[in-house]
Amino acid sequence: MTESTVKTVPPVASPPVVVARGLTKTYDTGDSKVHALAGVDVEFHRGAFTAIMGPSGSGKSTLMHCLAGLDVATSGSVHLGRTEITGLRDAELTLLRRDRIGFIFQSFNLLPMLTAEQNILLPSQIARRAVDKERFEHIVDVVGLRDRLHHLPAKLSGGQQQRVAVARALLNAPEVVYADEPTGNLDSRSGSEVLAFLRGSARDLHQTIVMVTHDPVAASYADRVVFLRDGRLVDEVLEPTAELVSARLLKLEEV
Amino acid sequence: MLRTTLAGLRMHKSRYFTTVMAILLGVMFVSGTMVFADTLNANYEKSVMGSATSVDAIAVPAAEEPADPAEPSEPEPLTEAQLDGVRALPEVAGADGIVSGQAVLLDRDGRAFGFMPPAAISIGETSRFSAAEGELPGGPDELALAGSTAEQAGFGVGDTVTVLDPAQEEREFTVTGLVDFGVDPGYSYGGALVFSPDTVGEMTGATGYTEIDVLASEGHTDEQAAEAVAALLGDSADVQTGEAFGLEMAESAGGDTAMMRTALLLFAFIAMFVAGIVIYNTFAILIAQRQREMALLRCVGAKRGQVFRSVLLESVAVGLIASALGVLAGVGIGMAGAAFGGPLLGMGGSVPVVITPSAVIVGLAVGTVVTVCSALVPATRATRVPPLAALRTSATAGGLEKGTGWMRVVFGVLTFLVSAALVALTQVSGPNQMGPVIVTAAALIAFVGVVVLGPLLVRGIVRLVGVPLRRVGVPSMLAVDNSTRSPRRAATAMIALTVGATLITGYSVVSASLESTMTRMLDEQFPVDYQVSAQYSMDGASGGDTVAEEAPAEDGAGTDGVPAEDTVQPPPESTQEGQEGEAPADGASPEDSADAEDGGASPEEGADTSASGETGMPLVPTEVEHALAESPLLDKVIAQRGGTVEGYDASPVGSLPVSTYDGAELGVDITGETVEGEISGFGPGEVLLSEGLADGLGVGDTLTLPSPDGEVDLEVAAVLADAQTLRGAVVSPEDFATLFPDTTDSEMVYVRAAEGADASEVRDAVYTAVDDHPTMQVMSVAEMKNQFSDMMDIAFYTIAAMLGLAIVIAVFGISNTMALSVLERTRESALLRALGLAKGQLRRMLGVEAVLLCLIGAGIGIVLGVVFGWAAGAATLPDMVLTVPAGQIAVFIAVAVLAGLLASVLPARRAAGASITGALASE
Repeated sequence: MTESTVKTVPPVASPPVVVARGLTKTYDTGDSKVHALAGVDVEFHRGAFTAIMGPSGSGKSTLMHCLAGLDVATSGSVHLGRTEITGLRDAELTLLRRDRIGFIFQSFNLLPMLTAEQNILLPSQIARRAVDKERFEHIVDVVGLRDRLHHLPAKLSGGQQQRVAVARALLNAPEVVYADEPTGNLDSRSGSEVLAFLRGSARDLHQTIVMVTHDPVAASYADRVVFLRDGRLVDEVLEPTAELVSARLLKLEEV
Repeated sequence: MLRTTLAGLRMHKSRYFTTVMAILLGVMFVSGTMVFADTLNANYEKSVMGSATSVDAIAVPAAEEPADPAEPSEPEPLTEAQLDGVRALPEVAGADGIVSGQAVLLDRDGRAFGFMPPAAISIGETSRFSAAEGELPGGPDELALAGSTAEQAGFGVGDTVTVLDPAQEEREFTVTGLVDFGVDPGYSYGGALVFSPDTVGEMTGATGYTEIDVLASEGHTDEQAAEAVAALLGDSADVQTGEAFGLEMAESAGGDTAMMRTALLLFAFIAMFVAGIVIYNTFAILIAQRQREMALLRCVGAKRGQVFRSVLLESVAVGLIASALGVLAGVGIGMAGAAFGGPLLGMGGSVPVVITPSAVIVGLAVGTVVTVCSALVPATRATRVPPLAALRTSATAGGLEKGTGWMRVVFGVLTFLVSAALVALTQVSGPNQMGPVIVTAAALIAFVGVVVLGPLLVRGIVRLVGVPLRRVGVPSMLAVDNSTRSPRRAATAMIALTVGATLITGYSVVSASLESTMTRMLDEQFPVDYQVSAQYSMDGASGGDTVAEEAPAEDGAGTDGVPAEDTVQPPPESTQEGQEGEAPADGASPEDSADAEDGGASPEEGADTSASGETGMPLVPTEVEHALAESPLLDKVIAQRGGTVEGYDASPVGSLPVSTYDGAELGVDITGETVEGEISGFGPGEVLLSEGLADGLGVGDTLTLPSPDGEVDLEVAAVLADAQTLRGAVVSPEDFATLFPDTTDSEMVYVRAAEGADASEVRDAVYTAVDDHPTMQVMSVAEMKNQFSDMMDIAFYTIAAMLGLAIVIAVFGISNTMALSVLERTRESALLRALGLAKGQLRRMLGVEAVLLCLIGAGIGIVLGVVFGWAAGAATLPDMVLTVPAGQIAVFIAVAVLAGLLASVLPARRAAGASITGALASE
């Protein structure tokens, strides 16, 4: 685990969609400073499905939040396409999230008073954007929600709810989809379904996906896994398998 | 357990902010009312007592047993001899009497001041009154004014004022001082002039003393002096010590404050009721949100009772703290009210604030008890939830409530039906005294229905209103969905507002309907522009009376048939003579003959006599009527004359008021509702009879009335509905002249301008006609309407202000509901923000939700208010013209929107300000 192995290697030839340079995030807790991110350089390429892994407190969620413009980095820069999102004001970040980023969260992904269909269409409505009918139909079929469209989230299983969230994130073909532990609350079967959709959409629809997870099995669905520890990018695996990822993780924990 | 409770309280203190505000405001109203009323009371007592205790004994003429209960008689005044007797008593150091009558004071325009002439009195050296400013009058050209009179008429010390003497001659006086009469009802209402003892007789014709104030001599107590005076004066006077007299007056003055206190407390009750609803909702939400916390407590071994007690304890703590703050605020408000409102209510100077223990204790008790009672239901509900079930509830499912049970629907619909039936009952039975009571009951029942059906109503209305709103944009779409997420919670929040909205709308509908009904009655039955009447005089009889003439509006005073006399009347005041004084002056007035006829009937002073109503209703001289009739600008001059036929058995008072409208074509110029027959076409030989006095006579029957020249037979042309302008027996002028040959002056002269005449010229013409008669009061109907509507407006604004607090509390409740919901939806808001909802949109979403709630609350209130306002009005007023004050209702709606926006400000700030990542991370 030397500095040289940390260097990110593009898995495919396509250009990077998200580029972070020297990203730091420091929390001031009064007497001491906590470095959640201590200088991260990373890029994510178009059509790539990347998993960010690391032990608890390694800063993986913080990294994702900073990349997505949900949180403000202390220093460093993040570019989404040609836009530098670090330094944008809240209103601009809101527009950015609305138009160019998709989100999938671990839980509480859906608004309880809206039906599955309404939830899927919500970002488009917020953005007052016309919905690509074909894409909508396609995605609904792919995630298998055709007969569940008019149900409220409370009537859906956890896996179905998360599939609604995936459909919502994919509908507008955002430049990047961030998924924060998307399978954390699901049983393994539902989880693998959701992950399969994510991988499929990366491959078939050239959707860029960045997923934070601590589950090696989930990470094995990705094209590439990057490992974080103590706010730094410390390792990276291409074409990962669950075993390989587990081994790397264990190694990280040991050190 | 106590520690857990207190820790919980500390942790959630921000959640209690609005609850505390609601309780605080309610308690503030209660305590403030009590402090204000106590202060007023003390002040009245002090001012009354202060003047009374400055003398040691007070003797007032004893009221005789009235010969006829229908006619309470004024007592005989005390005589000069009696005063001398009092002065001669060894127990008495000094005594002086108050002579009192009335005199007409002219204002700066040369018109008579006031609705009735002010009291004209003299006070001696020994008196409970003294000059507050300047000096008491010493000479024949000096007078002092009551402070209130000086202020109203705009006179001050040193000014020259004109007063009419009994012969109606103008006399000028210099104002030497102002006297503060405090709250003494005899002087504070109509005002008072103070003359020197020598002048007062000249100016009023009054003799004798209406009060003798006594100072005890050295070595004698107040009681001894009073007893001595009482022994001397015997039955002719009531004697009390100054203190006892003061206490008695203070008590009667206290009656006013007691009424005001009751009225204010009624509003305080409404405010507390609304506060109770708000508190209930807050606790219900708080406890729902803390269900898991409580379940955890149960899981680690807390008993059901312990959890219950913990919630109750919490409510006691919140209630006590908020009530204490409320009492403090209430004292402040009461002080401010006394400081600013006191002078308006006739209290002078600085007002020491009275804070009684009861104001504090009642405030604390009411606030705490209401809080604890409001928390009882949620506490019971909280402890009924099985611990494990509560722990398992997921955040997603928690926010949604189950549907409305059909029992609820049936019960709710039933209440509406019962309410509607009651209202229908009042409308069928027509206006009567029970009407308003039944309507109130119906309104309460309907309100219960609204409470029961509240969640359903909210859902239904939101669904309806939501259709257009959903199209506006995502924020309003989400708001529509959010507002039906917990319909019960929303309904309770909204109902708090409904209470205030119902009351205020109901009142405004009643008020507006009353006004338009009155206007229509005036327009239809009474199409005139001006009315001329004489200045009213309270003391009644004048010296000379014409035979058997009486204002129909009066109480049927005469005791002994035709001709009625006023021998039992009080000492006649010269004022009336004054007013009628012009009649003899012009020489042609027929009153002279009347005087000749019964001048002796008024024993005290028959000297200066002229016509006036037998009961003292002063009349408008014929001269004025003629002057008006001559003006080309005036199309119609209608003289209303009246008299009374005594011994009419069908009447409850034994007399039949008879009136005529000279110069009017009945049925056209003046009209009314009839029960039978037609008014138009009415002429000599005919009579219109009120139903209540018709004694079974119908159209075509004959009514025989006595006249000085024998009986007169009149054919009933129509039977009139009771209680309207045309009343009693209405006869033609010709028949009236036969029945009452001596009555030629009018009670009232109505004037209608000619078509197209210039309004200001008409006004001038009317005023010119009464120029020589300063006591004639000219009232334009437009002014009358304005006065009436001003009065209604003042009443409306007062009531609106009082109900305003209940509405403020309700808005706090809505804000609180919003804030707590926002807290519940923290993660949801974060999710929305992550999905690209801008802060402004999030705020707008909450704003729309709050406005929607407020609008539903206000809307239901407005509907209820209009319905029951109409019902109450129609149950009281015959032929009510329903007027829905659209302008005011538009204002209510605007206020509701504003209130919603205000209510959403804090919760929205909070929701929009929260960090997305923090909110997403929180469980």
